[in-house]
Amino acid sequence: MRTQEQKPSGARAASEVTTDTPILEFNGATIKFGNVTAATDVDLKVERGEFLCIVGPSGCGKTTMLNYAAGLLPEKVLAGGDINVFGETPEEGHSDIAYMLARDSLLPWRTALGNAEFGAEARRTPKNVRRERALRLMQRVGLEGFESSFPKELSHGMRQRVALARTFCLDANLLLMDEPFGALDAQTKLQLEDLLLELWQGSDRTIVFITHDLSEAIALGDRVVVMAARPGRIIADVKIDLPRPRKIGQLQKDQAFHDYHAKIWSTLEDGFATS
Amino acid sequence: MTERLTLYAMRLGAIAFLLAIWEGITRTGMADPNFVGQPSKIYSDLVEGLITEGHIWPELGFTLYTTLLSFVIGAGAAIIFGLLFVLFPKAEKVLEPILAAFNAMPRTALAPLLIVWFGLGIWSKVAIGASLCFFIVLQNTVAGIRGVNADHVTLARTLGLSRSELFWKITMPGAVPVMFAGLRLGLVVALLGVVAGEIIASRHGVGQQISYLAAAFDMSGVWALLFVLAFAGMILAWLLDVIEARLNRWH
Repeated sequence: MRTQEQKPSGARAASEVTTDTPILEFNGATIKFGNVTAATDVDLKVERGEFLCIVGPSGCGKTTMLNYAAGLLPEKVLAGGDINVFGETPEEGHSDIAYMLARDSLLPWRTALGNAEFGAEARRTPKNVRRERALRLMQRVGLEGFESSFPKELSHGMRQRVALARTFCLDANLLLMDEPFGALDAQTKLQLEDLLLELWQGSDRTIVFITHDLSEAIALGDRVVVMAARPGRIIADVKIDLPRPRKIGQLQKDQAFHDYHAKIWSTLEDGFATS
Repeated sequence: MTERLTLYAMRLGAIAFLLAIWEGITRTGMADPNFVGQPSKIYSDLVEGLITEGHIWPELGFTLYTTLLSFVIGAGAAIIFGLLFVLFPKAEKVLEPILAAFNAMPRTALAPLLIVWFGLGIWSKVAIGASLCFFIVLQNTVAGIRGVNADHVTLARTLGLSRSELFWKITMPGAVPVMFAGLRLGLVVALLGVVAGEIIASRHGVGQQISYLAAAFDMSGVWALLFVLAFAGMILAWLLDVIEARLNRWH
């Protein structure tokens, strides 16, 4: 995945954004915290509607890349190359980005519904619009009847369902997800992966999904990018040609799924060997 | 339910047992009732002071009124200072050691000074109570605000919340339980400070009565007032719990 067009770093005018503009692109990006290199020479383009999974061990810089794209890091950590979101310099609180963390980060003093609509509320979506959207999403994530429950009354899985509802309630085009199911038990994780696919399929939302679980990455993604640590870098970029819509449970019986797993796994091992 | 009833019954039993021993040793002459008090005498003092004559009530009213005043002033100032400290960390850096030193000073030892400054009336007691209450509420206010969940802050940043939105929508609601813990303790401590002030020098209040009865070697009378104070303190803390439960249904 080398980039063809080299363009000056920095923001481009919004008018220049065309449908061809990658939603997210890293051009030879190197991120450093002082003397520590978090990620080096990363080239990556994410097209509209793509479900991209980034998999790698801890310390490979995957979260750093995501956080930079979300505008959460100071610009000075970008030591080389450039990173653009919607063709522009990343910006904190970008209204077309929804960010989701491993921990649900629900506000304990708000009801499930209040949490589901919190993001949209923060972004000043009109009350009736966000309420209606949140109610529909609560239904879609399977939490109908729990609208007025407080987070402490919900299980881990249910709380992460609310977080999913909050994320989708933003109606953002780019979803940045940092191991959103990493803290769940295996069973719940499978359910939520299916749920995420259901919510995403049929939309043209772009998802960048970070995980350390290779099976999860293959099951969900259109593409799996494998990273290695020290220094964080991309060691493989594999297109996953499994048909959609997918069901996670069914994939386990699909030989192609296991072939991808075996193939990428060996790449991962090579990555460990050289790092 | 039966489990709770048993628990209460056992508690009452334990108290009754202790009182019986106390009564027994003072009746048999193993201990001097004038020196340690006597449950039956405490009971009759309570009945007299609270029901038949009711002379405890005005004293208690005075003490509670003073406590409330101390609490409102002390806690109010503490919350304002706490907010200022969070808004202007510089101010905290400058004032922190000074306040710590002042907090380390035994306030009850400061009471004679405060009584000279504020007189024998209500304000010297308010000064003691409020100064005790202030530090506890201040610490909890700052801790509550600083203790904001890092994930919530990340969420707020990705959502593009402004600083003031972050404060009102995320920091403050999250700080309320910790602040309330401080308020509950602050209220009890204000009562403590007020009573101590009354014991040292006052014309009214439960503390003044305790000091008077102790000087007259009426230990049962002292005990009766101590029980009244303990009960009043419990009611105050319980009232705050009720208010908190209303505010923090989620907690």
